Amino acid sequence: MSALRNRTAEPVPGFAEALERLRGEAAGSSGRALEQRNAAFERFQALGVPTPRVENWKYTNAASFANRPFALAPRGTVDPDLVIPHFAGGHKARRLILVNGRTVPQFSHLGGLPAGMTVRPLAQVLAETPELVDRTSVNDEPEHSFEALNRALVEDGAWISLEDGVALDEPLQVISILTEAESAFMAHPRHVIRLGRNAKLRLILTTVALGQAESLLNQVETVEIADGADLTIDRTLEQGQGRSAITRSRFVLGSRSRLQQTTASIGGSLIRHEMEARLRGTHSEAILNGLMMPQGTEHVDTLIRMHHEMPDCQSDQFYKTVADDRGRAVFAGKIFVHKDAQRTNSYQKNDSLLLSDDAEIDAKPELEIYADDVKCSHGATCGDLDPASLFYLRSRGMDEALARSMLTFAFTGEVLERIADESVDHIVRRMILSRLPGGERLAELG
Amino acid sequence: MLEIKDLQATIEGQDKQILNGLSLTVRPGEVHAIMGPNGSGKSTLAYVLSGRDGYEVTGGSATLDGEDLLELEPEERAAAGLFLAMQYPVEIPGVSNMYFLRQAMNSIRKARGEEEISAGAFMKLVKERAALLGVGGELLKRDVNRGFSGGEKKRNEILQMAMLQPRICILDETDSGLDIDALRTVADGVNAMRSPDRGFLIITHYQRLLDYIVPDHVHVLAKGRIQTSGDRSLALELEEKGYGGVLGAEFAEVAA
Repeated sequence: MSALRNRTAEPVPGFAEALERLRGEAAGSSGRALEQRNAAFERFQALGVPTPRVENWKYTNAASFANRPFALAPRGTVDPDLVIPHFAGGHKARRLILVNGRTVPQFSHLGGLPAGMTVRPLAQVLAETPELVDRTSVNDEPEHSFEALNRALVEDGAWISLEDGVALDEPLQVISILTEAESAFMAHPRHVIRLGRNAKLRLILTTVALGQAESLLNQVETVEIADGADLTIDRTLEQGQGRSAITRSRFVLGSRSRLQQTTASIGGSLIRHEMEARLRGTHSEAILNGLMMPQGTEHVDTLIRMHHEMPDCQSDQFYKTVADDRGRAVFAGKIFVHKDAQRTNSYQKNDSLLLSDDAEIDAKPELEIYADDVKCSHGATCGDLDPASLFYLRSRGMDEALARSMLTFAFTGEVLERIADESVDHIVRRMILSRLPGGERLAELG
Repeated sequence: MLEIKDLQATIEGQDKQILNGLSLTVRPGEVHAIMGPNGSGKSTLAYVLSGRDGYEVTGGSATLDGEDLLELEPEERAAAGLFLAMQYPVEIPGVSNMYFLRQAMNSIRKARGEEEISAGAFMKLVKERAALLGVGGELLKRDVNRGFSGGEKKRNEILQMAMLQPRICILDETDSGLDIDALRTVADGVNAMRSPDRGFLIITHYQRLLDYIVPDHVHVLAKGRIQTSGDRSLALELEEKGYGGVLGAEFAEVAA
């Protein structure tokens, strides 16, 4: 164990107490399912909570925000009027709503799904057919502390499944609400998303914290995109002070399939989004776009592992970061080209804007290539607003604050235009403007 | 109107004097052309007058209608009625041309204590002026200068000028990178704005633009000051003899 010393912290007792409380109560917490939970928890304890000595956690101190006395999330509901402003995808969109990691069927709207498409609370699946949740093809023994913890403490989440050839014409929105609360709480939802051959889905994943609380959201998503299937995700994360969120998304793509995700991580004491995409068929494409925008003392962290396992695939990582005040952002993106993955095209770009002397951005691009016929590139830029652009706007009569805000907004533009859903685009624009000094003067850009 | 007296300036952090005692007066209604070889200080003059960072005024003065320009922020100079059509207009993704124009207009109005222009009145005005410059509706909807051709960018500069109706217009190498048709459109736009209460300072490297925008006065800038002035014929003489031929061998441009 000496090799692990200093690299991980001993988990606080709160996690074990939470497991104890779930036993026999939560869905899938008896019999073999319980054994699996216990095994996952042992795994978590063995792995420990990573400290900055673990390479993937070098810039984000997990122990400081996660290894705290969180209790299981309070059951509770939320005023629907507070949820409605976060609706996206148009009036025909289907919606599944979670509060503190648990689905709330009465708020959800899932009528008229096409035959062959299922959207259910994961709790139901865990209770009835837990063996369906984990598939060895996707879920190896977790080497990841928080994923192991999620498996031990998961209560609910979204189960989304489309059979071969099934397409939902309208978007499906999953809104995950975190409530205000007196005491610190945690939620460990799990989303299982499966698209059969040639299935098609536009998914909107919205995470919002309402009011004040200290909370930890530890979410895991396993996403299977079979041959010829097409998944589009627009994702927003909007949290407040004292809120931490770790999201781990694992994508597996079949031949000629396509994934396009655009993420806006805006606000929250700590947001970490880990993505692992495995291109397991030929001629598939994975596009991961994102915007990070920490300010105050916020910390936003993105980690991507793009695995090209088969030939003739394409991938693109495109992230923009705006850090202000003492905000800190991390972008660690890795392209991994396996030896059979000839004729891979893989790109990565990370442009950052530092608006304050105290802000920090850590960019860590990595390439690991074992095939010889590939096109890979990565690029990272970091800087302040362009003085020539600032002068241009000011020479047209705009004061410096307005010019700075307009140019900062403009900087995010290339990510905004990659958002698939128009209503999400507007929501993100408003989120950005609300964070810019004098943003109300630019309200029309929302 | 625009009164420049013995203006001296350096690039910040460098000793070398770029403007070296430049004096010039532009009266309302006049069009002045400033010509000069590379490195003579033409663009520096434009930037110093409009307040771009990176230059240090080490002596002299510049006033617009008696107001000290050099004390003002760039946006205050714009509100005072100064406009610089830039050689390299900046692209602003995510901000439509139309919206940008309205923000600029209203910023200037606000600074002058005037009411903002209504959306309806603005639309009418922008369509009218854009049509004069051959700027189509599609270009108005696009992001500011993004993906614009060289000619479109310059026309867009003149459109901004036409919307903001400045007292003094400075055109910095507006002709660079323009084909003959675009040059004509831009010149027509400028000519349409000539009026008894507006002055122009046209900075150019070549005589060509002055075939279309006929100046009242032509000045030759070299080594940071005006070496000689004359009427339109001076521009033609420069075209024929070169800077060296007019000013003397020491001013000849080194052949590239």
